[in-house]
Amino acid sequence: MASFFLSNEFGLIVGICIFIAIFSWVDANFWSPFNLFVISRSAGVYALIGLSMMAVIATGGLSLAIGAIGVCAAMAFGWAIESAGLHWSASLAVALAVALALGYVNGWLVVRTGIHSFVITLATMSVFFGGMLFLSQGQSFRALPAEITEFGRLKVFSISALFLTAVAVALLLAAFYRFAALGREMLAAGACPEAAELSGVHSGRMFILCHVLSAGLAGIAALLVTARFGAAIPSMAGQLGQDWLMPGFLAPVLGGTLLSGGRVSVPGTVLGAILVTILANGLLRMSIGEFWVQAILGCLLLAAVLGDVMRKRYLAASGRA
Amino acid sequence: METARYAFEARSVSKFFPGVKALSEVSLKLSAGSIHALLGENGAGKSTLIKIVTGVYQPDQGSLFCSGQACRFSGPRDAMAAGIGVVHQERNLIPRFSIAENIFLERNGRHLFRMIDYKALAREARPWLERLGLDLDPALPVSRLTVAKMQMVEIARALALRSRVLLLDEPTASLTPHEAEALFAVLRKLRDEGVSMLFVSHKLEEVEQLCDTVTVLRDGNNVCDARSTESLGRQDFVHLMIGRTEQVVTRRDREQEDVPPFLELKSVSSALGHRDISLAVRPGEIVGLYGLVGAGRSELAKVIIGRYPVTAGEIRVDQAPVKIRSVAQAIHRHGIGYVSEDRKHEGLILDHSVLENAGITVWRRLANCLGLVGDRSIRALVEPHIRKLEVRTPSLHQKVGLLSGGNQQKISVAKWLSAGVKLLIIDEPTVGIDIKSKAYLHELIHELADKGTAVLLISSDMPEMISLADRIVVMNAYRVQGELANTGEYAKVSAGIMNLIHD
Repeated sequence: MASFFLSNEFGLIVGICIFIAIFSWVDANFWSPFNLFVISRSAGVYALIGLSMMAVIATGGLSLAIGAIGVCAAMAFGWAIESAGLHWSASLAVALAVALALGYVNGWLVVRTGIHSFVITLATMSVFFGGMLFLSQGQSFRALPAEITEFGRLKVFSISALFLTAVAVALLLAAFYRFAALGREMLAAGACPEAAELSGVHSGRMFILCHVLSAGLAGIAALLVTARFGAAIPSMAGQLGQDWLMPGFLAPVLGGTLLSGGRVSVPGTVLGAILVTILANGLLRMSIGEFWVQAILGCLLLAAVLGDVMRKRYLAASGRA
Repeated sequence: METARYAFEARSVSKFFPGVKALSEVSLKLSAGSIHALLGENGAGKSTLIKIVTGVYQPDQGSLFCSGQACRFSGPRDAMAAGIGVVHQERNLIPRFSIAENIFLERNGRHLFRMIDYKALAREARPWLERLGLDLDPALPVSRLTVAKMQMVEIARALALRSRVLLLDEPTASLTPHEAEALFAVLRKLRDEGVSMLFVSHKLEEVEQLCDTVTVLRDGNNVCDARSTESLGRQDFVHLMIGRTEQVVTRRDREQEDVPPFLELKSVSSALGHRDISLAVRPGEIVGLYGLVGAGRSELAKVIIGRYPVTAGEIRVDQAPVKIRSVAQAIHRHGIGYVSEDRKHEGLILDHSVLENAGITVWRRLANCLGLVGDRSIRALVEPHIRKLEVRTPSLHQKVGLLSGGNQQKISVAKWLSAGVKLLIIDEPTVGIDIKSKAYLHELIHELADKGTAVLLISSDMPEMISLADRIVVMNAYRVQGELANTGEYAKVSAGIMNLIHD
């Protein structure tokens, strides 16, 4: 039990409570059903973006392309419905297949070339996004079926269905890392590829699968955004999908995922996403400019990364003792 | 002052590491104008002593003297400033910088913003090169030189730092015999000019040929210090290095049944450079693989388990020719496991728990049709082995990195016991492990073989080899030098092994 109070998850819960206390004191409408819906809607998307990044950080690498992959998946969804005339459920499958394929490309390139994933995904981010713009000619798909838009507005006790979806995915993912032989092998390969390889784990294959998993989660995140907007829009994740990077890194790093790989925390990442959402939401409602919010989030990321370094030093020091 | 006779002296130096006494009251005396050899088996404490001399480690007891003055090094820079120059086994030059820049690297670093006067640099570098008989343009980038020439540049750099003591760690390891001769000529010339040199080498004939005095270490103790080499021959060196008459070797005679080998290598060559390797291991047999560091033994193990490809020859498992393409295949299809010598990077995942480390080899086997495997089923399989090996850990969820070396090693063995392998390749099982765990692991290896597991034991620890192995295959330079039956007679077998290596 003592270890729980020292964990990142507990720290995040405390942090979330503090922010909630501050914002509900400053802002009378913080607890309004509408604001709860807005927060939970964003938190759901941020949580999935964070999990998507987490799945690659598990390899000790990162992916700058999650935003681009997400947008590609969302645009594929719109295309499948509007241009190919598929049912929305079949279109979901098409969208996810596109995401998984792009993730495979990333993973394959990283493993085959041995080049750091930063460079590979920086390049593929542009390639994927550029390819998407070329194919879609920058046009949005706005004539989506009512089911999709309704899902975006659906709420259960003021909580957005997007958030509930994210929680369900997170539960599955947590079980995957905990109980699936594959999930365990991914973490082993991420922690120490050579040791894992010499224990019979195909480390390279695991790295590719980590990128595929990450891309799948990015695809789901993008589909949720599509439901929220009621449209698949090329600029939904910003230029080149870069708007996803800050929440993508913040959530897992706050949640205690080791940047050097091999250890992930699914609940930590979800809590991290909730904290980031509440912070951003509260600051925006206090009419603090958008760029200040970005700057504060940047500081938070720095603090979280420094915390990661300190933790590693502490681990090394206690390992020697 | 009595010590003034020595350019450098280490007096009764001891160094402790957690659980191990690496050096115990060791002395080293280097006279000016002489070449001094430092000898010892792997693990005798040579590298620890070198690190103390070069300021990387600080001695826990004892003191160091430079030209009779007591001195303390708090880091390698202090040692350099005190006139101790080092030429490491691996080359330590910046490839794209010129010879002159490399020679004066230390000095250039001192003024961050001053422009470098390349002409003056080249002018100053030339005399140092000439002193070593090198006719090279100092402006030439180091990357264009041969390994032997690079080494000369390193010696020049050490001399340019006004070193009075020059430490050469395995200087001939990557030289041809001809280049080695040229190096020796230079070293003799430097000796005549009054430089004191410490020559660390495994090659006894070089020591015999070159060195004036010798210090031998064994198990972290001085066997002799600054003894003249005049009356010593190669056999004497061997005897000094390994001849522990007090060594009690407890060897067990195992009934050798005439069963076909479990693993057989026939003229195997590998992508790593092995040539024409043949050996066989029978079930219930411990075959030792002895050789010096760099003989290609661990690399051979990795070829056998499919980490690196075989380029020629044949591997047979259970008499059937096989191609092992991955470690996963070796483990899951053929039942071959490998306990790495490098526990921290290859053997264990230090950041993960005891249970995860000991279970990694069985996850796939235990997984149900959905690919799921719970802690309980892993625990059921792994825990008996952990308990039997008496691993001392607060819980199965403890991080492996927090356990002692001995306990870590037990876990890296336990994971193969859980996997139920039929052949276990064990690489340096007791390096850096306390005596009690060492005895325990030896007992365990015997027991494994008694139960019918084929064991291929890689060890540089001669007593360990002689107390465990049934047969000993000797390797050198990625080839098999020969094989001898282990009779358990320490002196005879160790001399036989040494002769095979140095032939």
